[in-house]
Amino acid sequence: MKRNSETAGRYFLPVKTISVLAVILSAIGIMSFGIKNKKGVTKSNIQFENSNRDSIKSVKAFMDVYKVLMSPRCVNCHPSGDVPLQGDDSHLHTMFPRRGVDGKGVYAMKCANCHQPANTPGLNTPPGNPNWHLPPANMKLVFQGRTPHQLAKQLMDPKQNGHKGKEQLIAHATDALVLAAWNPGDGRALPPMSHEAFKKAWTTWIENGAYAPKPSKVKARP
Amino acid sequence: MDTNTLSRRKFLKSTGLTGAALFLGCYFPASAREAKILNAAQPETTEIELNAWILIDTSGKVTLLSHRAEMGQGVYQSLPQIIAEELEVNLNEVNIIFAKGDNKKYGNQVTGGSSSVRGSYKNLLKLGATAREMLIEAAAKKWNVANEECYAEAGHVIHKPSGKKFHYGELVVDASKLEAPKNIKLKARSEYKIIGKPLHRQDTPLKTNGTAIFGLDKRVPNMLYAAVERNPRLRGVVKSFDDSAALKIPGVKKVFKVRMGVFSTYREGVAVVADNTWAAIQGKKALKIEWDDSGFEHLSTDEIYKRQQEDLKTKEGLSFRKVGDPDSIIQQAAKKIDVVYQTPYQSHSCMEPLNCVAHWQGDKLEIWGPIQAPDWVQDYISKEMNLPRENVIVNLTFLGGGFGRKAFMDYPHEASVISKEIGAPVQVVWTREDDATQGPYRPGISYRCEGVVANGEISAFKVRMAGQNNGHWMGGKKDIANRSATEGFLKPYFDSMKNISVADVPFETPIPTMWWRSVYASTNGFAYESFMDELAIAAGKDPLELRREYLKDERLHRQIDKLEEVSGWKNRKKNEGFGVAITECFGTPVGQVVKVSKQKDGKIKIDKVWAVVDCGWYVNPDTIKAQVEGSIVMALGAATIHEITFKDGMTEQRNFYNYRMPRINDIPPIEVHIMENDADAGGVGEPGLPAFAPALTNAVYDLTGKRIRKLPFSLATV
Amino acid sequence: MISLNINQKTYQVDVSPDMPLLWVIRDIVGLTGTKYGCGVAQCGACVVHMNGEAARSCVTKVSRAEGQAIVTIEGLSQNNDHPLQTAWNEISVPQCGYCHSGQLMSAAVLLRENPNPTDDDIDAAMAGNICRCGTYPRIRQAIHLAAEMQRKGIKNKN
Repeated sequence: MKRNSETAGRYFLPVKTISVLAVILSAIGIMSFGIKNKKGVTKSNIQFENSNRDSIKSVKAFMDVYKVLMSPRCVNCHPSGDVPLQGDDSHLHTMFPRRGVDGKGVYAMKCANCHQPANTPGLNTPPGNPNWHLPPANMKLVFQGRTPHQLAKQLMDPKQNGHKGKEQLIAHATDALVLAAWNPGDGRALPPMSHEAFKKAWTTWIENGAYAPKPSKVKARP
Repeated sequence: MDTNTLSRRKFLKSTGLTGAALFLGCYFPASAREAKILNAAQPETTEIELNAWILIDTSGKVTLLSHRAEMGQGVYQSLPQIIAEELEVNLNEVNIIFAKGDNKKYGNQVTGGSSSVRGSYKNLLKLGATAREMLIEAAAKKWNVANEECYAEAGHVIHKPSGKKFHYGELVVDASKLEAPKNIKLKARSEYKIIGKPLHRQDTPLKTNGTAIFGLDKRVPNMLYAAVERNPRLRGVVKSFDDSAALKIPGVKKVFKVRMGVFSTYREGVAVVADNTWAAIQGKKALKIEWDDSGFEHLSTDEIYKRQQEDLKTKEGLSFRKVGDPDSIIQQAAKKIDVVYQTPYQSHSCMEPLNCVAHWQGDKLEIWGPIQAPDWVQDYISKEMNLPRENVIVNLTFLGGGFGRKAFMDYPHEASVISKEIGAPVQVVWTREDDATQGPYRPGISYRCEGVVANGEISAFKVRMAGQNNGHWMGGKKDIANRSATEGFLKPYFDSMKNISVADVPFETPIPTMWWRSVYASTNGFAYESFMDELAIAAGKDPLELRREYLKDERLHRQIDKLEEVSGWKNRKKNEGFGVAITECFGTPVGQVVKVSKQKDGKIKIDKVWAVVDCGWYVNPDTIKAQVEGSIVMALGAATIHEITFKDGMTEQRNFYNYRMPRINDIPPIEVHIMENDADAGGVGEPGLPAFAPALTNAVYDLTGKRIRKLPFSLATV
Repeated sequence: MISLNINQKTYQVDVSPDMPLLWVIRDIVGLTGTKYGCGVAQCGACVVHMNGEAARSCVTKVSRAEGQAIVTIEGLSQNNDHPLQTAWNEISVPQCGYCHSGQLMSAAVLLRENPNPTDDDIDAAMAGNICRCGTYPRIRQAIHLAAEMQRKGIKNKN
C-alpha cells in the first residue's frame, strides 16, 4: 500500500529503498517503492520537478548536512535512547534526564528547569533556548548511530520527521532550536560549518531531490 | 540558644533559672582518668570547668551540651538518646546545644575519628543516672519515704506503694541542693528502653522545612559577603592584580589581597567583598590576577604515581611493623606475587561548600561556621592573629557534611583576616569550584604488595606504601613511618601470618592532603584486602574461608559467619560474582560482600551489597545503618566514578560536572546487619567505608577473572 | 524594583535582573532553606518550585521569576506535614541534611505528577539531586512511603 502524502505536502513523499529498509518498513506495514539508480543513490520517487533533480549534487550536499547533524550540537538532543547526550564528547547527560512524552523531560527533571530561555553565562553551565526539548516520544528522530543513508531517509519520512513536507523541512533550517546549535554557550564547539553554509547544503540537498547516499558510503558515528 | 560561652552562673541568670534548675556537669579532676560528676549549681563548684553538662529546668526540659558538632553522623540524635535512657525521660524532652571551641574546657573537640559516641557515652550514662538518683532522692524527701520505694519513669518520680508522683520540674529546686551521689549503678543493656532502639532522628524536622541553620545560612547584623580567588596552584602568592572590572560590579565594596594559613604554610588570594554573595562571586570572576608560583614543584598526576612506583621498586622505606622475615622468603621463593595497587586523590566535596562568618571587633573575634574542630580553630587563630584564646569565640552551626575537610583551619582563618581588613562581619563563601580545586585532598597512594604462598598457606606478606603523610601537615615527624600504615588492616593478621611486614616509603608533594572519611583505611583497605584475595586465589582457597583461617578471633568469626549467612555466600550461582573484604578502623570491624553480574550490554552491575558491622555497644541501630549505607555510597563514588587529578600543579576537576558524584540511579540495594555484643562502643561514621572497594573489585575478579588494581575503575568498561 | 511572589507573599527587591533567583532568595529576601551547592545546575540543592516546576534557582535569573509563583522549602507545607516531610521524618532520611531542601522540592513534583511512582520513576525524577552523605536508599524508601500516605490520605503516620 502506498503512503498517502496528504500531510506531507503535494510535492513530497518519503525516500525509500527496497534494499535497506524494506524489512523495517514492511514490519510496520508499509511497502516500499524506491528505485535505485545506477550510481547507487536512492532517488525520491515522487513529484520532484525534473529540472531540480540532481542526485550527485543532492548527495554531496547531504554529506555536509550529515556532518552538522552528527556534531554534538545536534546529535546530543537526538539520542538513540531516551536520555540526551552532553558535551563535545556526547556522553550521556550526567543527570539522566528522560525524554518524556513531549520531549520536555519528566517530573522534577524537565529541560526548562535548568535550560533557561538563553544560555547561562560561564563554562559548563546549561545552554538555553525558550523551546529547549528533545523530539517527542512518538517521533524520536534519532540521529545518534545513523548512517548518512539512514538519516537522509528518516529525515524525508513524514512518519518520522514530524509530518514535515518539503517546504516545512526547508524552513526548519532556520528553526530557533536549530539555530541554537550556532550559539552553544561558552566553551562548546560549534558545528563544523557556519549556519549559512549548513542552510545552503540543507536546501541544496532537498531542492535537488533529497537523495539519500548509498548505504555503505560512510560509517555512522557510534 | 546561645549559651555555652557564658559562665554557668551567667547562663543560669540569663535563662532565669538561678537556683531553679538541676545542673549537673562532668569534669576531669587533675590527674584523674575518669570523669567526675558534680552538682554544678552549688556555689563552690562554679569555678570548675565542665566538659559536659545537662540541665533540667522547672518545666522538666533537659538541655544537653555536646562538645562535638553535628555533621550528619547523628550526635543530635544519639547523645540525647543516651541521656534520656538513664535519666528516664522521653527523648523529645532532651534538647542539645553545641559547645563553642575551647579544648581547655571540653578536651579534644574534633568531630573526627568516629569518636562522638564512643568517646562520651560512659560519662553521659553516668550524668543521666546521677540526675535521676538526685531527683528520686528529692522526691523521697518530700514524701518522707525511703529512696528505695521510689522509681523514675517518663520524666516523673513515682512512689511505688502509693502511686503518688512528681514531675521532674517540680523536683529540680530540691534536687539542686543535694550532693551528687557517687557509685551510681548503671542499667544493664537488657534493661534499656531507649538505647538500642531505632528512634527517629531529632534533627529531621529542622532539615525538612528549611529551618536548620548551616554555616552558609548564618546571618549577623550588617554582615557583608566575600568571595576569594585563590592561587590555583594550592600554594604560592599574588604577584599583582587588577580589580578595575571587579569594582565596577554593583554591590562590590572592596577588593584586597588576603593571606590564609594552610597549616604551617600560607596561600594567597584576592578577596572581593560585596553586599551580597552574587556580587562577590561576579567580582571574583572579573579579577585579573598574576600569580607568583615560584619555589615549589608543579606536579601532574602521572608524575606523582610514576615517582611513587619508581621509589617502590628500590626503596624499602621506614618499617612500621614486622613479624618474622618476609624478605628472605620472598627472595628465595620460586614463585611470588608482586603487584602494585594504586588509589586516587579525592576531594571531600561536602554538599555545603566551605564558608565561614567572622566578626572582628578590635580586641576580640567571633566566628560562626560549619567547623569540625572548633578548639583547633580557636588555638590557631589566636596565634595567627595575636589574640588571647578566650577572645576568639568559635560558634558551631550544623555542618552540611564534613568528612574531614571541615577540620582544617584555613577557611575560618581567611574569614577572620577579611573581617579584620574591612572592620565588619563578613561571610566568606567558597564557590563549588573553590571547594573542588583547593584541597586538601585524600592523598593518592601506590602500594607494592609482595607475597608467597606455599602449601596453601601465606608464607610471606610484605607491603610498602608510598603516598603523602597527612601527619606531616600537622608537624608530624618525618623520620618515622606513617602511623596509619596499617589502618584498616585487621590486627589478627599479624598474629596468624608468620612473616609479615608493612613499611612506608616517604613521599612528598606540595599538594595539601588531609583526612578523608575513614582516612588511610579507605586506601589501605583496598590494597590489603584485594591482595588477600589474590593470595587466597593463589592458595586455592575460598576467599571468605581464608579470612576465617587467618583471623583467629572468636568475635571476628561470629561476624564472618553472619556475613556468610546473610549474603548467601555458600549458595553463589553461576554468572554471579561475589567478593568479600573485612576492614577495621576506629574500633569497628566491618565485613562486606558485594554481588555483581554482567548486563546484556557488557557492563558490570552491582546487584547487592551486604555489610556486617560489629561496633559493640551502640545507641541507635538505624543511625548506624544510615552511616554504613552512606559510607558505601561514598566508597562507590571513590571506587568507580570520581578522582582528583593534577596538571601542571593545578587541580583539573572544578565542579560536579567533572568531579561526578554517584546519583540515586547508581545505588545498589544495601543491607546492613549489626552484631550484638557487650563490647565497648566502636566508631560508626567511618568504618563502613573501606571494605566496599575491595569487596567490589574482588567480586569483579570472581565474575570476570580481571583483577582491578587501580582506582577508580569504570563498571562500564571492565 | 522586581516584584517576586514567594510562598504566597510579595517581595519587592532592588537587584540586578541578572542575579540568580537563588541569591535573591537567600541574601535579599532572607530565606535560607534553599541551598547553594554548585551554581551550575548540577546538584539540585537549590531547587524551588516556579509555577509548580522544579526550577534550579542557581541558574534562574530573577527576571525570569518575576510575577511567577515561587515556592521554597519554607513554603512546601504549613506545618512541616507534606507527606514527603512526614515520610522523611519517619525514615530518618537526612544525615547532614544540606541537600534535602532540594531533594524534597524535586520529590514533591514527582508525587504531584505521579501518585504511585515506581523505582524507575524515582530514578527519573531524582537523578538530578546529589547527596554526598549517600542517603539515596532512604530517599527512595521515603518517596514510596509518602506516596502511600498520600494515596491513603494519611497526614501523620503515627
